[in-house]
Amino acid sequence: MARKTTATRKAGVTALAWIIALVIFFPILWTVLTSFKTEAVAIADPPVWFNFDWTLENYATVQERSNYARHFMNSVIISLGSTLLGLLIAVPAAWAMAFVPGKRTKDVLMWMLSTKMMPAVGVLIPIYLLFRNLGLLDTRSGLVVVLMLMNLPIIIWMLYTYFKEIPGEILEAARMDGANLRNEIIYVLTPMAVPGIASTLLLNVILAWNEAFWTLNLTAAKAAPLTAFIASYSSPEGLFYAKLSAASTMAIAPIMILGWFSQKQLVRGLTFGAVK
Amino acid sequence: MTQWLERHVPKVVLAPTFAAILLFVYGFIGWTAWVSFTRSKLMPRYEIEGVIQYTKLFASPRWDTAMNNLFIFGTLFIVISMILGLALAILLDQKIRTEGFLRTVYLYPMALSMIVTGTAWKWILNPGLGLQATVQGWGFENFQFDWLVNPDYAIYTVVMAGVWQSSGFVMALFLAGLRSVDGEIIKAAQVDGIPTPRIYSAIIIPSMAPIFLSAFIVLSHLAIKSFDLVIALTGGGPGYATDLPATYMYAMAFSRGDIGQAASSAMIMMMVVFAIVVPYLYSELRAKHD
Repeated sequence: MARKTTATRKAGVTALAWIIALVIFFPILWTVLTSFKTEAVAIADPPVWFNFDWTLENYATVQERSNYARHFMNSVIISLGSTLLGLLIAVPAAWAMAFVPGKRTKDVLMWMLSTKMMPAVGVLIPIYLLFRNLGLLDTRSGLVVVLMLMNLPIIIWMLYTYFKEIPGEILEAARMDGANLRNEIIYVLTPMAVPGIASTLLLNVILAWNEAFWTLNLTAAKAAPLTAFIASYSSPEGLFYAKLSAASTMAIAPIMILGWFSQKQLVRGLTFGAVK
Repeated sequence: MTQWLERHVPKVVLAPTFAAILLFVYGFIGWTAWVSFTRSKLMPRYEIEGVIQYTKLFASPRWDTAMNNLFIFGTLFIVISMILGLALAILLDQKIRTEGFLRTVYLYPMALSMIVTGTAWKWILNPGLGLQATVQGWGFENFQFDWLVNPDYAIYTVVMAGVWQSSGFVMALFLAGLRSVDGEIIKAAQVDGIPTPRIYSAIIIPSMAPIFLSAFIVLSHLAIKSFDLVIALTGGGPGYATDLPATYMYAMAFSRGDIGQAASSAMIMMMVVFAIVVPYLYSELRAKHD
């Protein structure tokens, strides 16, 4: 008897969890479905769910009218560029703090992370003016640098928590076996550090890909990544739900696929390492 | 030589980050603070004129709306996200077989840009199309849901989308907290026949106090810097009914060309953040040194 009620209860809990998942997933599902509708079907009252003539027309129109591919490439270059540049600076810094910690290391880390808490609005105007004077407005390189700077504390901090997990004894063992510093780094530390670096890379690509505050404020037609493009597309063409959905679907697809293959890292990354 | 390296390399590799933070965070915040005391318009001016920008700011009904909205949005957003997040975490904690899959789905809204997912929200909230039309289509002709275009209620649609975006994230935080509670204690309680709800309310949740605090800090920080939510959903409208401080500042700096006013609003936002974050950081540091 008791076992039976547990089984029923468990089925109920599972069903509930799935229903909630469906509710949460609904806006994403709707966007994907709508991208295959015609504009008329997209605003039908009452709404049409699956029973319509599927079309790829919206995707073609979005590319034709506004050179979608360019904005897509902007997103790729800006998010990858800022992440790689950030890693270049952050890996040695996090490395030093994890393996050669000083008395102040923890405080320095906290201090760096605390700057991430400050709202970006505090530095928006000077950066905007600086960009204007240097001719960096609406350039990809400018955005790469700003996004790198904004995410640098998180990159360093995430790498630090990953590097901290590499056991120190393994270094001693390698040293005992006669490995010199160079071999130590190439054969022992690097293979162990790669997963952490990869996770950090992934999270920061996602953060940079989604970044809207800086991309909206510092770009126009030329260097706009997908977030800025979609924001601008939705105001003048606000009622063209089908085309907007096609643009949106292409913008979220890479993240959804990346996220799928890296669920664990995503959880850890999005919760700022509070969750392991 | 090696010793010199070991001693100094850490400092050398940290120096660029250090310099970048000093200049781009502290230097630029200092610049903003300075300019907030000037009469800067389209171009920055550096003659200090006193607190005129702040007087103007506090007299502005639009800023008043923005701060009110921040209060309404922040409170509801934080409270509802925490409650839903905790509920979802407890739900997933029931050893559901597809947990990994569900957890990812719950987290998707946080991993996707609100600017992009806002497309769907605009449709859902549109009185002529989404929720209202659907429910009316089911036969409930009198069902009304026009919050998006109603100045008195539009801010609550921002809350809805914000909660949607963040609950999964809070869930992940809490789930880790639930899992970190000592399994032995829970087993002992189960053996003693204590009912599950009581185990949660008396044993597990009280031991998660630090996670509640960090969830609160992260959520309040998200609330204050909320920008893309409003831009994606309402653009600050109708009128300026859904303005938040961040969008107010954006409007001042870029649409009105009033840099001084934008700078002063940025400084007030900084102070709100400090009021929340500094006590937290202080207590963290204290806890560590004890």
